[in-house]
Amino acid sequence: MRLEKCWFCSSTVYPGHGIQFVRNDAKIFRFCRSKCHKNFKMKRNPRKVKWTKAFRRLHGKDMTQDSTFEFERKRNRPERYNRNVTMETLKAIKKIDKIRVAREARHHTMRMKGKKGMEQKAAARELEQDISLVKAPLALREKSSLTLSKIKVKASQPQAEYPMEE
Amino acid sequence: MIQPQTLLNVADNSGAQKLMCIRIKGTGNHQYANIGDIIVAVIKEAVPNMPLERSEVIRVVIVRKCKELKRDNDMIIRYDDNAAVIIDQEGNPKGTRIFGVIAWELRQLNFTKIVR
Repeated sequence: MRLEKCWFCSSTVYPGHGIQFVRNDAKIFRFCRSKCHKNFKMKRNPRKVKWTKAFRRLHGKDMTQDSTFEFERKRNRPERYNRNVTMETLKAIKKIDKIRVAREARHHTMRMKGKKGMEQKAAARELEQDISLVKAPLALREKSSLTLSKIKVKASQPQAEYPMEE
Repeated sequence: MIQPQTLLNVADNSGAQKLMCIRIKGTGNHQYANIGDIIVAVIKEAVPNMPLERSEVIRVVIVRKCKELKRDNDMIIRYDDNAAVIIDQEGNPKGTRIFGVIAWELRQLNFTKIVR
């Protein structure tokens, strides 16, 4: 029994799941579910389909190179059963998984860094430019108390959500 | 799921190219033939100057089918086309070379000459 990877989305295919397609040149395509199978039949390129691992890796959304991936390489030589080795491997799998998940989370935070700053900048700009959506420009000119001065506020939420109240 | 009127590719070098299924061998009113079943077919297209000619009626065994095949270990397999290998009365293939992929199931049904 072997856990395969889905050709389209790269998730693991457990036994009893999915379909294998054997092309006449003897290349085997394994799919984890009919969603992937149907996309394949539509001749979609997984590197262009946003929710697949192939796309995410290609566009830098997920980790591409890491030493934890070395452990999952396909090995074609069957190992002789050794109880100790099996126990150690099971322990190692858990540990490696934990490390890999931590690294992926770190990769994600690195990727998302600076997002809050960008969001705040965008919100401030929206406040300046699009305040007319909330209040008519004429009203703003008459009553100067209604205008928003350009104060830098350390807000945790952008202020664009709350219109000015009199 | 091969039934009469199904067109099949030929997976060996016996001379025929395309077959049409006429009848599924076996007693009773078989609906469909699967991989490993013997059917009677007529040659629709053949390579010229070979022992087999067009509109000959022959027996073939099915080696690939587009419909999914379920295995005991819960594996489901699909092939790219419907294909068959031409055999004689004893079950020996008429051609000398087989093209394409062949399903495992044929080994269990004693078509060992076909299985590579």
